Amino acid sequence: MITGHFKTDYSADEGIWSIWPKRWGLVAALIALAIFPFIASNYALLLAGQIGIFIVAVAGLNVLIGYTGLMSLGHGAFFAVGAYTTVAIHHEWPLTFPLITLVISTVVTAAFGVLFGLPSLRVKGLYLAVATLSANFIILFLIEQEWLAEWTGGVSGIETPNAVFFGYELVSQQAKYFFIMPVMVLMLLFAQNLFRTRFGRALIAIRDKDYSAEILGIALFSHKLKSFAISAAYCGAAGSLWAYFFPAILPEDFGLNMSITLVVCLVAGGMGRTLGPIFGTILILLVPEMLKIVAAAITGGDATAQTWVSPTRDILFGLMIIGFLIFEPMGLVNIWDRFWRFMSRWPFAK
Amino acid sequence: MGQFIQYMINGVISGSLLALVALGIVAVFKATKVVNFAHGHLILFGAYFYFTFSVVLPDASFMPDWVSSWEPAWLQAYAGNAPMFSPRAAIASWVSDLPRILLGLIGALAANAVLALMIERFVMRPLLGQSAFAMILSTVGLIWVLEGSAGLIWTAEAEQVPALGPNFPIRFQLFDQNLFMFSGSLVNLLVALFLFASLMLVLRYTRSGVAIRATAEDQSTAYAMGINVPRVFSTAWLVASTTGAVAGAILASRNGLSPAIGLFGLSVLAVVLMGGLDSFAGVLIASMLVGILSSMAQWKLGGGVAEIVPYVAVLVVILIRPHGFMGQEEIERI
Amino acid sequence: MSYIPLPGREGMTVLSVTQASLAFGGIKALDDVSFTAESGQITAIIGPNGAGKTSLFNIISGFYKPQQGRILFDEQDITHLRADKRAELGIARTFQNIALFRGMSVLENIKLGGHTRLNTGFWSAGFFYGEARREEARLRAEIEREVIDFLELDHIRKAPVAALPYGLQKRVELGRALAMKPTVLLLDEPVAGMNREETEDMARFILDIQARWGTTILLVEHDMGMVMDISNQVVVLNFGRQIALGTPDQVQANPAVIEAYLGTSDRSETKAEEALA
Repeated sequence: MITGHFKTDYSADEGIWSIWPKRWGLVAALIALAIFPFIASNYALLLAGQIGIFIVAVAGLNVLIGYTGLMSLGHGAFFAVGAYTTVAIHHEWPLTFPLITLVISTVVTAAFGVLFGLPSLRVKGLYLAVATLSANFIILFLIEQEWLAEWTGGVSGIETPNAVFFGYELVSQQAKYFFIMPVMVLMLLFAQNLFRTRFGRALIAIRDKDYSAEILGIALFSHKLKSFAISAAYCGAAGSLWAYFFPAILPEDFGLNMSITLVVCLVAGGMGRTLGPIFGTILILLVPEMLKIVAAAITGGDATAQTWVSPTRDILFGLMIIGFLIFEPMGLVNIWDRFWRFMSRWPFAK
Repeated sequence: MGQFIQYMINGVISGSLLALVALGIVAVFKATKVVNFAHGHLILFGAYFYFTFSVVLPDASFMPDWVSSWEPAWLQAYAGNAPMFSPRAAIASWVSDLPRILLGLIGALAANAVLALMIERFVMRPLLGQSAFAMILSTVGLIWVLEGSAGLIWTAEAEQVPALGPNFPIRFQLFDQNLFMFSGSLVNLLVALFLFASLMLVLRYTRSGVAIRATAEDQSTAYAMGINVPRVFSTAWLVASTTGAVAGAILASRNGLSPAIGLFGLSVLAVVLMGGLDSFAGVLIASMLVGILSSMAQWKLGGGVAEIVPYVAVLVVILIRPHGFMGQEEIERI
Repeated sequence: MSYIPLPGREGMTVLSVTQASLAFGGIKALDDVSFTAESGQITAIIGPNGAGKTSLFNIISGFYKPQQGRILFDEQDITHLRADKRAELGIARTFQNIALFRGMSVLENIKLGGHTRLNTGFWSAGFFYGEARREEARLRAEIEREVIDFLELDHIRKAPVAALPYGLQKRVELGRALAMKPTVLLLDEPVAGMNREETEDMARFILDIQARWGTTILLVEHDMGMVMDISNQVVVLNFGRQIALGTPDQVQANPAVIEAYLGTSDRSETKAEEALA
């Protein structure tokens, strides 16, 4: 039973790892992350890499939707910008150091984020959702154009480079895993810290009551734009990792489906919480896998039966969004919180 | 000049289809304040239902022959041996398809109505009182549920369905220019405008129309004044689903039956925002504008550009007039 | 009423509104309103419902821009400044309908009041090292001392604001404004809907704020008892027009005010004064 945590000064109260369950939980999670690639199969590593990349992107979306309260249905486009920038950089300078490419892709995407954010000057909510959705279609349309095909490969997509660190090329899933995970952990910590200081608090204030934030001296427009930029930057980083992770990319990878998947991960996990993107992404990306297993079990590996996996996955995703919104609007994080509240009081109260 | 008028006509025709689809989005928004992102997929279901009741069912072995092809003696006499593509041949073949078209329309309207009522009852109503964000997202969730279900139920691709009206080419002259259009398009245009106009009249002059408008102004006050708000919600969804079924039938007969119809609904959402979410007149103007712009873009810049015209247009309009051409701005009291 | 103005600033004009007019379409919300607020004084703005009191606050805090007239703050023209810039200069306010950040705790709400006084950079914040860490600790200590202790909020500092009773929410909102260390504090109906006891608490806090920091306070309020008790100066608005300006005693005796509140001046004046007193 954990009844309470006693602190004797304010900075301890402000800390995020100040209580032992959190501290040791973090250590345990990091150790598990480090050991995982040595015991997992290649397929599991493929999934893990994908999940890691998505977590970065969803954490970015969380900055915008979860913390700033601005809706976006176009974040797939930022993913695309990050990925295609990485490919383009390697196309021009094949030997660029991967971290530099990552940073440049992130910055370029952040600039696109500012551009996307301009409508937020005038509109919010639904209008912004449609504006971002429109921007997503437009960006993909541009990527597919002939005059950019040298860098983007047009409609038919383009092969992507592997990351090369000091002559060592990251080819195996295991090697890529060790590139993705540190980036993910760092970016998550960064976001967590951001939202317990001045800037992050201002974004949350805008979400909760924009005019109230204004009279506290928070410039709405510039903060909204910065939020768009940060959020886009996270997706850009994810896109860059995506380009290094997969052998090729296609414009249609980054369409509306991707944008909505990101939102679904966020809603399922819990908006405005650091752990939300992690929980949500793991759940959502593992659903198709579980479906495949179920399908295989029912049909005994019959290949034709696989045709219903994809529509069933869509239905499940849709039902999950609706289900979470109706029954658990705060997402998986809320279940997690309830569990720990229960544990800390057990056996005396529920 | 001839080209220009020709593309104007095409633009007006596709604009009227946009308006027909937009009708459902505006109706639901006016009554429930929910913007239905899944309206395109409701239409997709309408199209598939129309396909089921007008193609699959009549051709089934247990149906009487006259349903699949009605050929009374007088019709054969009328058709005679009219040449292909002549109006007479087109009308004759339309009349012989009439039973299946009617069956298809009735079936699609009924099935879509049931579907919409279920959505309203089991998805939207439990979310009543939640944030606009949750409402939008749940309709986004619906997109996937509907798309996936359609994929499971109807595996067929790019099927043909009978057109609502007889389809023959019409050639005519205007300002000494040779112009051309299909009679089917003309029928579609008339159907779309008829539905649009009658809904506007219903809203303005009937009891339930007033109930819908009152609910649009203020849900809780309308409830307190004795208006059955849940029934208003159901009515709005009924309107959306039935007009959507007609739109689905038209779209499927024009461009073939495919999941792309759902995406078309999303581009209409952009049009609706351009016009102003709660204004039928604004949406009609925006639909025509986008229809004509797309048609012009197709003429001058190619089909690819035409597809993103609604999205570019909505971005421009939102930046200049955040609430669309004729939308009502919500005023926040401080 | 005794107060301790900031040293060297007694009697200085902090805020002045000159001939301000504001119209929405054809409706004049404010029509030629002028008054000045002196350093460390409490100015009450009263008037019947719809008289334009909140509109006056809105042009001072920057949500609306008056079509005519000027607003000076510390001799600087702020008529066309954005709301957030005015906050940086030192104008704080509370709202008639509580406008707290409902997703946050009391402490987080109050911390936001410190926004303009912090300058943690983006990178420093993201890695939470150096200045960010020190500044957060400083802010927390300061808030604990000067806001939470002062307004007796210590027992609820971690509570989510949405769950608090109305009176406490009002107090948290006052705390959030205080954390800005404002020169001018605008309070929009601070005791509306409160019972006797809560009203007295709030009046005491307002007087304490005035005494402790010499804050210039503007107050919109319907509770005449409190207004007449604590304010140094009263501005009376009716249908957007300023019908009286003066000390509480002068205003209470003003026939125009009595008429605005009671309809006609035929009634016995003693009754009217009773109603206002």
